[in-house]
Amino acid sequence: MVNLSEAIRTIRWMVRDTFRQSISTKLFWVMLGITAVCSLFAASLRITGDISTYEGVAYTLPKDEADKVGGAAKVIDDGVQIKNGELSLGFGVIRTKLAKSKDDAVKFVQVWLAGVVGDSLGVLLALLWTAGFLPTFLEPQSATVILAKSPPRWAILTGKYLGVVGFVSLQAVVFVFGTWLGLGVATNVWDLTYWLAVPLLVINFAIFYAVSAFIAVATRSTIAAAFGTLLFWILCWTVNYTHHALLATPVEGLGQGAGFLMEVGYWFLPKPLDLGGLFFDAIGAQGYFGEMPEMAKIKAGGHFYPQASVVASCVFAVTTVGLASYEFEQTDY
Amino acid sequence: MRVWGGATVHAATFENVNKIYKSGLFRRRGLTAVDNVSLTIPHGSVFGLLGPNRAGKTTLVKLLLNLARPSRGAVTRLGEAATVRASLNRVGYMHENHAFPKYLSASEVLHFCGGLSGIPTDQVAGKSAYWLERVGLADRAHEPISRFSKGMVQRLGLAQAMLNDPEFLILDEPTEGLDLLGRQLLRDIVQELKAASKTVLLVSHVLPEVQELCTELAVIVAGRVAYRGKLTELTSNRTGLEAALKAIYVKGTA
Repeated sequence: MVNLSEAIRTIRWMVRDTFRQSISTKLFWVMLGITAVCSLFAASLRITGDISTYEGVAYTLPKDEADKVGGAAKVIDDGVQIKNGELSLGFGVIRTKLAKSKDDAVKFVQVWLAGVVGDSLGVLLALLWTAGFLPTFLEPQSATVILAKSPPRWAILTGKYLGVVGFVSLQAVVFVFGTWLGLGVATNVWDLTYWLAVPLLVINFAIFYAVSAFIAVATRSTIAAAFGTLLFWILCWTVNYTHHALLATPVEGLGQGAGFLMEVGYWFLPKPLDLGGLFFDAIGAQGYFGEMPEMAKIKAGGHFYPQASVVASCVFAVTTVGLASYEFEQTDY
Repeated sequence: MRVWGGATVHAATFENVNKIYKSGLFRRRGLTAVDNVSLTIPHGSVFGLLGPNRAGKTTLVKLLLNLARPSRGAVTRLGEAATVRASLNRVGYMHENHAFPKYLSASEVLHFCGGLSGIPTDQVAGKSAYWLERVGLADRAHEPISRFSKGMVQRLGLAQAMLNDPEFLILDEPTEGLDLLGRQLLRDIVQELKAASKTVLLVSHVLPEVQELCTELAVIVAGRVAYRGKLTELTSNRTGLEAALKAIYVKGTA
């Protein structure tokens, strides 16, 4: 019978131990260092000028440009938009003309930071860096002392898993807060939708770290956990992309069986591409980065179910942690 | 032994226990570590478990602590099946190669172990301080374990095993790495437990220690019980423990 208070106490201790472990391995400070660099980068953003509309001012546009907006006469009647701003990074080291409005420029940097640095590089690096946490802990010489105590093994493993996810969540919060603050202070644009990056980064990490935990329990090898998870991520991305590509552009001659298998694979496995798409939608990135045509097509065709996709991915993660716990229970030490 | 509600309860029992470790890609290869062992460890005894290397002694300890599961047979601990984890709160365990997380200090290790053992938070600090003092690590309590020698780690292992005031202490090669004072400390603690009618299972190769502390013993050879009885019975023929054990080892492996 499950002793809930003991399980909660165990999970709390394991989470606390994982934080101590993360600080001792210097990973905590390395990740904070990266956040500090990104926040400094965000704070170095300077925007001078903006897009201005001058009513009634005659302004000569190149003919093709004027034609695009209804002809020169109309432009003069409506007022003319003059792009007179400048965007600089690195406290003025890199300068470029402002392509859009000030808010848009900030959004672009946010999308770049959260989407590229956080969601892609950040999650993959976090998976690689934290891959050693469980195998180190599961070494028989270290684990037997804890496993010879009364807490159930599933609670020990769940605590360790939640500890790592909690640690990465904290890093994600600090990263988003730091860069959001840097951008806000530098530009006075305080866009709260940027905070949606936190749950999406955490969910993305938690799903794939469940796989890392399972491999760690099965093999007790850091290398297997790190590269196994990376390969699994590539597999999931491929299945996710192929599924959307086949929906967007059906291939003639593809049998029903193959289609069914693809559908099963898509719903069974985590869907990193969908999570990324959802993330981009949430922070309004579509206006800044070109959307993958396959994704755009299935969205237009009403075949994209973001909520179901996220729920299915989360179910996969919970099931995987459950299987890892079962494997852990059966393992001889 | 202890009698509860009319039933005799031993500190531990092994009933026709087999343990085969499976290995290989498809787990086809098997190594028999324990072969049809039946054994009881009475309550209140200091019980020695002896045998040559790879005899299966540590496997028996692991089965007792539910660190491994028997391939066949039944194991009980403190009157309950070994799979019932709750009774582990009444057990202390120290083995020869402790590897505590190097990022923790001695004090943090004891707080962590105490927390997992269900010791109330308000008592953990007091018990930790007491045992750190007792094992001679009080002045190094807040140093990271990475700076500790093997003997100091063993002393810490002893402190964590005693932290929950165990009813049943299991010591697997406990004196490995301990200096003279550390060995004396261990002997003192075992004598105190003996006086308090608690049970100690001692797995050891150090015969003087076994002779000084144990009242009963079992000798395991090639996964089987080659001898089980009182220490005095084994040494009564005046050949001495060492010679008696050698004879059992040779006979058991023949």
